[in-house]
Amino acid sequence: MRDMILAVCGKGGVGKTTVTAVAARELCRLKSTKALVVDADPGGGLEMALSIKPNKTLNDVRKELIEEVKEGKRDERDLAVSLDYLLAEALTEVGNLAFLSIGRPEDEGCYCKVNVLLKDAIAGLAGRFDVTVIDAEAGIEQVNRRVMGEVDYVLLVSDTSTKGIRVGETIKQVADRMVKGEGAGLLINRVLDERAVDLIKASTFLEVIGWIPEDDTIRRFDEEDKSFFDLPDCPAVVSIRNAFEKVGLV
Amino acid sequence: MGLFDEQLTEVKRFLSEARRAGGVREFRAFSTPAWPAESSLVLEEDTAIELGNPQTVSLSLLLWTGGHAVEDGLISLVGPDVGESGELSLPFAQVLMVRGSFEDEYESYQALRDAVYDTRLSGFMVRTRPSKHSLWCRVAREALEQGFSLRYLGAAFVKRLKEVPSASGVEVLFVTSSLDDVERLSGAAAEARRIIEAMMKMYEEKSFDCETCEYRDVCDGVMELKKIREKLAGEKAV
Repeated sequence: MRDMILAVCGKGGVGKTTVTAVAARELCRLKSTKALVVDADPGGGLEMALSIKPNKTLNDVRKELIEEVKEGKRDERDLAVSLDYLLAEALTEVGNLAFLSIGRPEDEGCYCKVNVLLKDAIAGLAGRFDVTVIDAEAGIEQVNRRVMGEVDYVLLVSDTSTKGIRVGETIKQVADRMVKGEGAGLLINRVLDERAVDLIKASTFLEVIGWIPEDDTIRRFDEEDKSFFDLPDCPAVVSIRNAFEKVGLV
Repeated sequence: MGLFDEQLTEVKRFLSEARRAGGVREFRAFSTPAWPAESSLVLEEDTAIELGNPQTVSLSLLLWTGGHAVEDGLISLVGPDVGESGELSLPFAQVLMVRGSFEDEYESYQALRDAVYDTRLSGFMVRTRPSKHSLWCRVAREALEQGFSLRYLGAAFVKRLKEVPSASGVEVLFVTSSLDDVERLSGAAAEARRIIEAMMKMYEEKSFDCETCEYRDVCDGVMELKKIREKLAGEKAV
């Protein structure tokens, strides 16, 4: 059933959550596509952008499983089916779209069995949806953890800053080693002058798949705490949709 | 004597009372056509009805016995079927009773449990929480339109559980009538859970110090557990 797992990665503050939220908006309109959207950023910005209140986070699920391991009354098969149940409880559904928040991890000691189960379960969960979009944590750390190994396409988001582009390049290099899929592309955000895009194209080895103009509508929705599901077809949304069409997500 | 004699008696008493009240419908698994087997993801918007949603009450019970209390192929339903209720959600109890020759109780438990976990039907999503003995199911609108009913689920359990080599008969009970009716089986479910936990502790920890064991009261009340203990302690001594 699985068609694609796409991870939205990049430096902090470049607009990954905006891009993921617009992906959710687009996928929600494709009624026949079952989509899973994962907020893997512990900051939880995506749930705010989409005005979603998750029932529980993946970290809550992890804590519950750890309790069961501590009790020692469950073998691996029981834990696996418990996890299946808890993951279903953690999904917040909006039409054809299901939302899963990773939550803020806390130091709970080493529970490798639980972590392995979680990794497998998320991959399994993603496999039951047509598409999965992950709003990744800023930087490179997450690229080689949890569900990231199963990612088919790494969408690198950057603003026009050199630092943002360099972080994108580093992520691509790590992803080449750690991620199953070979697809990766750069989406440049908050472009004020199209000539900046040409300069970036000339200075990076990344494939530039599109650019998003600076857009007051996005800024206004953000400031007014409005759900991105309700965004109109403003220039930024159209640009992001074009990029997703290009990579085959929508 | 078997591990779950008391729980089986309690379930049978519940069924007898429901029968006397005229609240039981019975189906035969062997005359029920097979529903397509497939693991399904049913999202809320595609759901016709939920059974045992975490906001309500649910219960899942798997009992096995060497005795004759199990009527092979019988599926009993107390309460409305999934296509009959105007509700979007119903409380749910699922009781699976298996008859057979279970020489190694631990292996039998694992084989039967895995058979339950592996029973998946198209358009029917089931989530199990073994530690809580709870169950959360969704029936897809499309499946309901195609005629899905609990009879098909019961028949699938009968078929799959009878594939376990030591099983010779399977009976199924579903309860959807009310929270109270499901709660009436919760005592049996809690006791069955403690018996299984005590048995697993014996097999997995090979610790037989009854003085410090949290399940001492369970073993004191279930002769079959004492036999398992003696058998395992004997094996350990050798």
